Amino acid sequence: MNELWADIVNFLSGEKMWSMARAIILVIVGIALAKLVSSTITKVVSKKTDSHRSMLLRRGSYYLILILFLISALHELGFNLSVLMGAAGILSVAIGFASQTSASNLISGLFLVAERPFSVGDVIRAGTTTGEVLSIDLLSVKLRTFDNLFVRIPNESLIKSEVTTLTRFPIRRIDVQVGVAYKEDLKKVRELLEQVADKNPLCLEEPKPLYIFQGFGDSSLNIQYSVWAKRENFLELKNSIHEEIKNIFDENGVEIPFPHRTIYTGNITEPFPIRYEKASDNDPSFHDQPK
Amino acid sequence: MTSDTQPLSSWWGSFNFNSGQNKQWHIGPLTLIVRCLDGEWQVAHEIADDFDDIDASWQTTDTDLMPETLDTNSRYIFRQTSGLLSITPLLADRAIISRPITPFNLTAGEEVTLYVSSPVWLELSVGSSAKKLQEVAIQRPSDTWFGPSTREGELCYASSTHCRLNLEDLPQRPHRAITPVLIRNQADTTLSVERLNVPAPLLPLYAAANGQLWTSKISLIREKDGDMAELQIDNTSPLEAKAAEQLSKPRQTASGSALIRAFNTVFS
Repeated sequence: MNELWADIVNFLSGEKMWSMARAIILVIVGIALAKLVSSTITKVVSKKTDSHRSMLLRRGSYYLILILFLISALHELGFNLSVLMGAAGILSVAIGFASQTSASNLISGLFLVAERPFSVGDVIRAGTTTGEVLSIDLLSVKLRTFDNLFVRIPNESLIKSEVTTLTRFPIRRIDVQVGVAYKEDLKKVRELLEQVADKNPLCLEEPKPLYIFQGFGDSSLNIQYSVWAKRENFLELKNSIHEEIKNIFDENGVEIPFPHRTIYTGNITEPFPIRYEKASDNDPSFHDQPK
Repeated sequence: MTSDTQPLSSWWGSFNFNSGQNKQWHIGPLTLIVRCLDGEWQVAHEIADDFDDIDASWQTTDTDLMPETLDTNSRYIFRQTSGLLSITPLLADRAIISRPITPFNLTAGEEVTLYVSSPVWLELSVGSSAKKLQEVAIQRPSDTWFGPSTREGELCYASSTHCRLNLEDLPQRPHRAITPVLIRNQADTTLSVERLNVPAPLLPLYAAANGQLWTSKISLIREKDGDMAELQIDNTSPLEAKAAEQLSKPRQTASGSALIRAFNTVFS
């Protein structure tokens, strides 16, 4: 018992104990300093730059300081860092093979950060997912969709596939696809569409609305009418312009046709004969017939 | 309905309300109803779609109509209401893009003064300390984009009227302010003016004795090299508005009386 006690006292008073204590203090100071520096940087920088950059600076400074202090702590414990680095090199090859996907995501993440196709706060569409970017991390990008779901997209798939940033430019175009009946006067239709765009204050005067005749459709003359709106007013204009076009067409008797199908029996034969029978209220057998 | 006892030379100014009293303003296409209650102000407004823009009439009346009858209404709660309402006209919060009826050319060394009219907002504030309730557009102008491309530029309002060369041609309306614009072409080449950017947020607003609203005169001078334009804003009321009184200060302060801008941010 006395020997054990002597060993403990020996250990506590020895050099190793002191180096261990110094290492622990270094780690604690490192964490505290890293937090302090990163939060100070965020406070100073947040007014001058966007949230994306300030997030990068915050994380970068935090991990840099923490790694430096961890290396010092290891050095204090008596680890030979050059040997450690060599071991880390061999280990990283092994880890690299084992975690190919993570490594690929990590590299893709670095490219995403460098290329900056979008930043935190932007609204992007990747595949079928549309949402606001919450964070761009080393392995994935986190989105909040408009139905309030949290979506994690791996960086690798964002680098590989097409990503649309919806909030990059200040104005957006709305393409209204409208079909009118073959009997309608296209000049009049165009004037009515211009009238709608002119009256709607959310519809930009410049760039001018675009009228494109898309072609002779199956049942209608197809027209694309493209109007521009401020990005924030996009949805409001999209709703109001469709409603207003329908209203003005109704007021002026312009028909928006649904698919028509005319059946012929051939060139030679006469069209199908149609017989119209008026139902008699007193005839119960008529009502009983299957329809 | 009884007519208000205020001298009706202008629709702005201070108005006294009793508790439970409603007042209604018709200014151009705008109908505004303000209701004063104990500890509460209610403001409602509506902009008519089918409005004859030449119509220069306006009126202030007491009304039995409730604010709820109009499209947009809002309530403001106070500990105490003094019954004092101030209405101040303001210019637009974005630049106004005005278009001449037909684009015109200004040959080298020539100058011209145009008269551009722009829609006016009104600011409602209450009490002796003029606590702001809200701003109401008398006529909501259409948005427009002014810039070299769809990626760069600024969002502006489009003026539904046209730049006029003669002041007599411009109808005098209570809900629009007139800006005299001097354009001088000092470059060697002809200047074609299709659209004009009037920086409304930088201009003060004045009222002439007849109730017509004016802004200070602006001068757009195309520099010799042709790529830059100098924008000068007078600090006084325009000569055309005799004995004008200043109603509101500019929304933004310009960095100096003369601003040098890229040519394509002023003309197009």
